[in-house]
Amino acid sequence: MHSTSYIIRFVLIMTTLAALILASMNTFLAEKHTQNEKIYNKRAILAAVGQHLDGGKSPEDLTDQEVETIFSSNIKSYVLDMKGNIVEGRDAESVDMAKERKKPEPERLLPLYVFTNGQGASYYILSIRGNGLWDEIWGAVSLEEDLRTVAGASFDHKGETPGLGAEIKDNPGFPSQFIGKTIYNEAGEYTSVVVRKGGAVDKTHEVDGISGATVTSDGVTEMLQRGLRYYEPYLNTLKTKS
Amino acid sequence: MANDTQILEPVKEKEPLFGKAEKKLLTDPLNDNNPITVQVLGVCSALAVTTLVYPSVVMAIAVTFVTAFSNLFTSLLRNTIPKSVRMIVQLVIIATLVTIVEQILKAYNFPIYKQLSVFIGLIITNCIVMGRLEAFAMANKPWRSFLDGIGNGLGYGAILIIIAFIRELLGKGSLFAGSPIELKIIGAADTYLINTKANPWFGWYMNNNLMVLSVAAMFILGIIIWIQRARNPKLVDIS
Amino acid sequence: MEFVNIFIKSAFVENMILAYFLGMCSFLAVSKSLKTAFGLGLAVIFVLGITMPINWVINTYILSEEGMFGMDLTFLRFILFIAVIAAMVQLVEMVVEKLSPALYNSLGIFLPLITVNCAILGGSLFMVSREYTFSNSVAFGLGGGFGWFLAIVALAAIREKMAYSNVPAPLRGLGMAFILTGLMGIAFMSLMGIDPATMGGK
Repeated sequence: MHSTSYIIRFVLIMTTLAALILASMNTFLAEKHTQNEKIYNKRAILAAVGQHLDGGKSPEDLTDQEVETIFSSNIKSYVLDMKGNIVEGRDAESVDMAKERKKPEPERLLPLYVFTNGQGASYYILSIRGNGLWDEIWGAVSLEEDLRTVAGASFDHKGETPGLGAEIKDNPGFPSQFIGKTIYNEAGEYTSVVVRKGGAVDKTHEVDGISGATVTSDGVTEMLQRGLRYYEPYLNTLKTKS
Repeated sequence: MANDTQILEPVKEKEPLFGKAEKKLLTDPLNDNNPITVQVLGVCSALAVTTLVYPSVVMAIAVTFVTAFSNLFTSLLRNTIPKSVRMIVQLVIIATLVTIVEQILKAYNFPIYKQLSVFIGLIITNCIVMGRLEAFAMANKPWRSFLDGIGNGLGYGAILIIIAFIRELLGKGSLFAGSPIELKIIGAADTYLINTKANPWFGWYMNNNLMVLSVAAMFILGIIIWIQRARNPKLVDIS
Repeated sequence: MEFVNIFIKSAFVENMILAYFLGMCSFLAVSKSLKTAFGLGLAVIFVLGITMPINWVINTYILSEEGMFGMDLTFLRFILFIAVIAAMVQLVEMVVEKLSPALYNSLGIFLPLITVNCAILGGSLFMVSREYTFSNSVAFGLGGGFGWFLAIVALAAIREKMAYSNVPAPLRGLGMAFILTGLMGIAFMSLMGIDPATMGGK
C-alpha cells in the first residue's frame, strides 16, 4: 500500500507533466492551427466560384499557397452593414457568421468578397447561414456581374445526417444545380432560389431537393431566402451606380 | 501468412525481441481474439466514422497509436501507480495521447480533423484502450505491452476498414473518397469506372442509401460476426 | 420551453446509442438481463445529468478565452472532462454501494466502466460543439441519459425474449444483438426530422 502523500505527489507530478507536454505542443502548433482554419474557410469561399477559377482548377485541388495567392491578388473583401454601407476598418475574414446570427437583425455585419478572374469577369460572393435538421448550416453563393444570376454555390453543415442532409456538402451535384439560376424574376422582384421537394418545377428559380432530407432542404431554402436578401441594399447601390 | 515465420530474424538478446510469443501478440487480435467481434470492446463511437474508407483508415491509425503508447507508458509505470488512483492515472495518459493525436491532425490534415470532429476525442472512452491497459499492460513488460497495443489497434482498425469498405462501395460507389487516391467505381457519370448510364449491363444499379445511414454499420458488423463464428465454432456464444 | 424541447429531442430523436453509437460497449455487455440494464441505465442518467453542467462550467469559465485565465486552454479539455467524469463515477459507485449492495453486486465491473462509457464524454463534447447554454446542457444531459436508459432497457427486454428463439448458432448473442440494435435504430429514425420547437405550428 502506498501512503496518501505518495498518491497525491504521484497524481500531481503526472498531471503537471501531461499539462506541460500538451501546452508546449499547443504553442508549437497553434499558429498552424489558425492558419489551417483560415485556409479552410477561404477554400469554402472559393468553392462558390469553383467553375470560374483560372486554369480550370477546382478549389479542392489548389494548394494552400495557391489559395493564399488568389485571395491576395484576385479577391477584394468588404464588410457591409444591413443598410448596404461599407464598414471601414473591419477585415471581412474576422466577421464570424455564427456570432452575427445571434445579434439582432439590424446590427449584423455581412462579409462580401469580390473575385475577379484572369479574363476580368467579377463575381460577388455572399455568405449565408441558417438552420438544418440537427444544427447550423451555412454556405457561400456567388453572383455574376448582372447581380441576379447565380455563378456558383457551396454549402457546409455542422451535423446533418450522412447520406441525407449531409449531401448538401458531400454530393457535388447539389450545389452545382444552383449555377445559372436567378434570384430576381423578369419583373425585377426578389425570388431567391427555392429547393423544391420532388424536383424543380420552375427551372429558373428552383433546384431539386434531396430525397429523404426535407428539413435540411427547407433549411437551405430559408437560409437563401433570408440571407441573400441581407445584401440587397448594397446590391441596389451597385446597380444604380452602373 | 504461413511463410512469414521464416523471414523473421531473431535478434540476439537475452529475451528474443520478436519471437513466437511476440508474433502471437500481433496476430491474435486480428482473428481469434479480435477486440470488436470477440472481446466486445471498442464498438463505440468509432463506428460512426465508417461511412467512408479514408477517415476510417485515419481513425484506425489514431487508435493504434493510442493503444500502443498508452500500453507502453502504463506498463513502464505499472509498479509505481498507486492502486486507488489507477483509473485516473490511466485516463490521464490516454487523454494526453488523444490530445496529441488531435493536435497533430489539426495541424497536418485539417479536412480530416473537421470530418472526424468529436470522434477523435471519443478515442479516450474507447473501451479497447482502457480494456487493454487493465487486462495486459498492468501485468506485462513494456515491449510486450507495446506489441499487444499495436495488435489490438490493428485488429480494431481492420474491422473498421472492412465495414467502411462495404459501406462506401455500396453507398457511394467510390473508395477512398477525399484522399489523394480516390477511386470512383460505379455511378451515373463519366468520371466513374463503370458508368451506369452508358453501360447496358448496369443500368439497374443504384447506390444504396441504407449503407450511408448509421444502422448499416450494425447490420454489417452482425454479419461479420456471423461469418467469423460460423468458420470458427469455438467462438460461438452458448449463453 | 427550450428545456423541454432539448430534453425530448436528445432522448428520442437524437438517441445517443441509436443515432451516434455512443456507449455501445456497456450497452451490449449489460443488456443480457433486464434488471441490470435498468440499474445501469439509471446510473447513466445520473452521471450524465451531473457531469454535463459541471463540464459546461469548466468549459465556459476555465477553458475558454473569456474565462478565468484569459487564454485559450481548450487543449486541456479532454483531460479535465474525463477527470470530472471519473470523479463523479467514483461518487456514484460509493453511493450505490451504501444504499443498495444488491444492485452494486449485480452491476459489478460495469459501474467503473461508466467512466469509459462514450455516451458520457460524448455528451460533453457534443455540448461544446453545439454551443449549448447552461440550462440547455442540463436538459441535454438528462434527456441524453433518459434516451440511453430507454434504449438499453428495450434491448435487454428483446434479448430476454430472444432466448426462446431459434437463432442460428454463430449468430447467437453478440451477432444478434448488433442486428437488433440496427433494427431499433431504423425504428427510431422514423422520429427523425421531428422538431419539438416547431410542433403545433409556428
